[in-house]
Amino acid sequence: MNVAANIVAMLVMPIVLAGTITRVKSRWAGRRGPPIFQLAFDLWRLARKSSVYSTVTTPVFRLGPIVVLVTALASACVVPLVGTTSLVSFPFDFVWFAYVWSFGRVALMLGALDTGSSFEGMGASREATFATLLEPVLFLVAGALCLHSGARSFSQALVPQLDSAPALVMWVAAIIALLVVVQVEAARMPIDDPTTHLELTMVHEVMILDHSGPELALLQLGSAVKLFVGVSVVALLLNPLAGTGSLAAVGAHLGLCIAIAIAIGMSESLIARLKLRVIPQYIVVGLVAGGIALLSMLGRGGQG
Amino acid sequence: MTSSALLLTSIPVLLVGAALAVGLRANHARAIAALVTQAIATLLVLASIVPVLAGDASIEVTWPWPAPIDQIAFRVDALGAFFLAWSLPMTFLGTLYAVGYLRPYFSAGRNGGPHFALLNMTSVAFVLIYSVQNALVFLIGWEIAAVAAWLLVIWDYRSQKIRFAGFNYLVSTHVGLFVLVAAFMLLHSYTGSMDFAEFGRYLSSHPGGQGTLFLLLGISFALKSAFFPFHTWLPRAHSAAPAHVSALMSGVIHKAGLFGFLRFTLLGGRPEAWMGWAVLIFGATSAIFGVLYTATQRDLKRMLGYSSTENVGIAAMAFGLGMLGWAWSNPALATLGFGGGLLHILNHALFKCSLFYAAGAVYRATHTIDLERLGGLARRLPRTAVFFLIGGLAMAALPPFNGFVSEFLIYSGLLSGAAPTAEGDVVLVCAAAVLAFVGAVGALSTTRAFGLAFLGAPRDPSIHVGEDAPRSMAIPMAVHSAGILILGVYPDVALVLVEPALHLFRFDPGIAGALDLSVVLTPVVWACRALALVLGVSMVVAWRRRARSSASVTWGCGYTAGTARMQYTGSSFSAQLSTLFRPALPVVTREHLPTEPFPRHASHLSTNHVDAVERRMFEVLGQGEQFVHDTSGRIPEQPRFAFAFGLLALVVVALVAIGEVL
Repeated sequence: MNVAANIVAMLVMPIVLAGTITRVKSRWAGRRGPPIFQLAFDLWRLARKSSVYSTVTTPVFRLGPIVVLVTALASACVVPLVGTTSLVSFPFDFVWFAYVWSFGRVALMLGALDTGSSFEGMGASREATFATLLEPVLFLVAGALCLHSGARSFSQALVPQLDSAPALVMWVAAIIALLVVVQVEAARMPIDDPTTHLELTMVHEVMILDHSGPELALLQLGSAVKLFVGVSVVALLLNPLAGTGSLAAVGAHLGLCIAIAIAIGMSESLIARLKLRVIPQYIVVGLVAGGIALLSMLGRGGQG
Repeated sequence: MTSSALLLTSIPVLLVGAALAVGLRANHARAIAALVTQAIATLLVLASIVPVLAGDASIEVTWPWPAPIDQIAFRVDALGAFFLAWSLPMTFLGTLYAVGYLRPYFSAGRNGGPHFALLNMTSVAFVLIYSVQNALVFLIGWEIAAVAAWLLVIWDYRSQKIRFAGFNYLVSTHVGLFVLVAAFMLLHSYTGSMDFAEFGRYLSSHPGGQGTLFLLLGISFALKSAFFPFHTWLPRAHSAAPAHVSALMSGVIHKAGLFGFLRFTLLGGRPEAWMGWAVLIFGATSAIFGVLYTATQRDLKRMLGYSSTENVGIAAMAFGLGMLGWAWSNPALATLGFGGGLLHILNHALFKCSLFYAAGAVYRATHTIDLERLGGLARRLPRTAVFFLIGGLAMAALPPFNGFVSEFLIYSGLLSGAAPTAEGDVVLVCAAAVLAFVGAVGALSTTRAFGLAFLGAPRDPSIHVGEDAPRSMAIPMAVHSAGILILGVYPDVALVLVEPALHLFRFDPGIAGALDLSVVLTPVVWACRALALVLGVSMVVAWRRRARSSASVTWGCGYTAGTARMQYTGSSFSAQLSTLFRPALPVVTREHLPTEPFPRHASHLSTNHVDAVERRMFEVLGQGEQFVHDTSGRIPEQPRFAFAFGLLALVVVALVAIGEVL
């Protein structure tokens, strides 16, 4: 039952979240907006199209999008996607989580460099640089959560634990840090504007400029899955019922995911993206929050 | 034949091979002599260590020998067996690679005999270093390895740059030797013996007085393994040496430093916690600086060289963790630390050799390894490109490749919350965050190196791309790549070598609380297998289906006259990172910028990322020289200086005299 629910969520929720964000943005702009499942129609349309490859490219360009999607799904396997338990769970699975994301990122960057376009190289360079600051954030937060709860896996560690003042500090700091992680990894505002039309300022979108047809579909689905996985991680920490495994917990989890998607849509309608130069500083905010989450463990005293 | 006889027969076999390599008349005969003797020696050594790895007692044999050595004790325990098990086969592969790599020199009439003989001597050095129990013979093996490596590096001795790199290495490695000699002399003065067993008895019975020795041995082994800030010889040497020599130095020869460290950790018995912390922090520093330098190098082999500073740093982090586990009587942590570190050494040897071989193939085909001039090589050198990509992904520790497995073990130790205090736990998690940072920068460097050299369009039309690697060069790369792929999904193959060595650290899987590494790895290895399977199948399916597609030019964002020169460059790729970490990554800029609206002269801008330590070292030397020069210039003018020095000398002499009398 749980397995089926996780798989269904893995396939459906990314599309729903993407649709929700678009819908919210449309409403703010005074439009009705496309259907919630528009991304699914788009993917279907793209999958049937033929591809255009640049004459410069090699098989790396063609196979990269597969790696992007497969690694996104591989990361989804260790996260409890419906607020119960994850498909697969083993000690220190968040190390696996971080490194499959990293693999997907490398595949995307190599695909970008394969086109020989300077714009795509620019995007790849930015993505790689931001990632160097971002990876430690995830480990600081995961380490703090593990130390606090004595848990070893994402499923066990990602539950709100508010039994003391230091734990409260850690919880708030962990949520802030993870929000930064999700914003950067899923390429959302204020890091990256997915709807911008100026290649010079893009990060994620510029790397997929040359992809078309099925490859583009794979990449779009991959980034939607990554967004849902990231949102799920934050939602689990916010969900008071997480870890109970009840039907109410599932409902609360999915509701929270949609709520976060609505919040993303609103932030993308209401605020402007940061200057590229400022983004590393924004990630350092996440790093500091992660550090605070970890340091609050000192206040806990002794072995937990 | 007994194990010890098998092991010791390998030395004369290798020496005969070296003699034949020098004596024979044709280069191919010399190569065959070296290869055949190395193959025999490898088989002999492997046959001799099988019982040790299977859990039997160590190989022990003692030879009488003239003074001052008196007798040489050979003893191969599981630790030595672990290092022997891959050092000799990899040297054999390196020699095979040399046959193809040096062919252009041979056709120009160069005598390859000494080179092959030196490769044999390197293997002899391994047999000595990893098996002798006598400090003097150990030093001889150490010196053979160092001098052989130096002579191998300066193969292209006609170039001034290469001779400079060679001497730089020679000086550094001998500074390390002096420090090692000092440590051994100190131990000799305490024990009256040159035998490691005696050293061990002394060290384990005097747990308090190890500080000086720990420092001396640490510096010597750090110089050998090129830890930051003792790495300054490394980028030059790796960039100057032939590719197989760089590969062997980085992947195999300099692991002797880590072996020495582990050997003396074992001899010293249970370490104190501060030693574990010191090694952990020292390793983390090395990993951070090493990896930051990989991100900015123009020279592909220099970049790979810095990456070995990074990887020995990661291994040292693991050993520091293991020492902490030992000090805290936590067998699980010690197993994860030492096991992860040993596995990482082997993994690093596999992927680093492969990467250097691929870089050598690039050099052979294009006569340059400057990333800013290469590009689009994947089309011209497809075989090399595949091997480089596999090695690079393993270097970035990505699943399902082998680098990930060993780093996973290290993470498991760092994040396990096993420290006795909350502060300790927090520091260990910070170390895990450091490892994550190192991994992310490593991913950047891999992407940059592969993306610039092999993808995109050729940047410099003046470069003529020759043929892809011949078979003698491709086979070593293929073997190493196969090792990378197999250890990524079946690390048990390597754990067979690692586990017996772990028993030496007195953690038997039988006793409660210890762990079996293969049990720790089971879930993540299954995850890696699943990932590898899904990736493989989906790629094959996608490749087969290969529906209609059309070709076009790369989208230039509206600009239609783009050229290959407009591609992103290596320095621009890492520009943002290097700005963020400017204090650690100094850059020398030479610029002549246009000043007026219609500049009348050509302008240029060049940036060069230099090594911070080397630069600072020479700066200090230069300042010191300037100071001495200034002072000595002023002495004749200022008689009071001469008077002051005279007075000072008198005071010193008087103090010494008083000290003697008392």
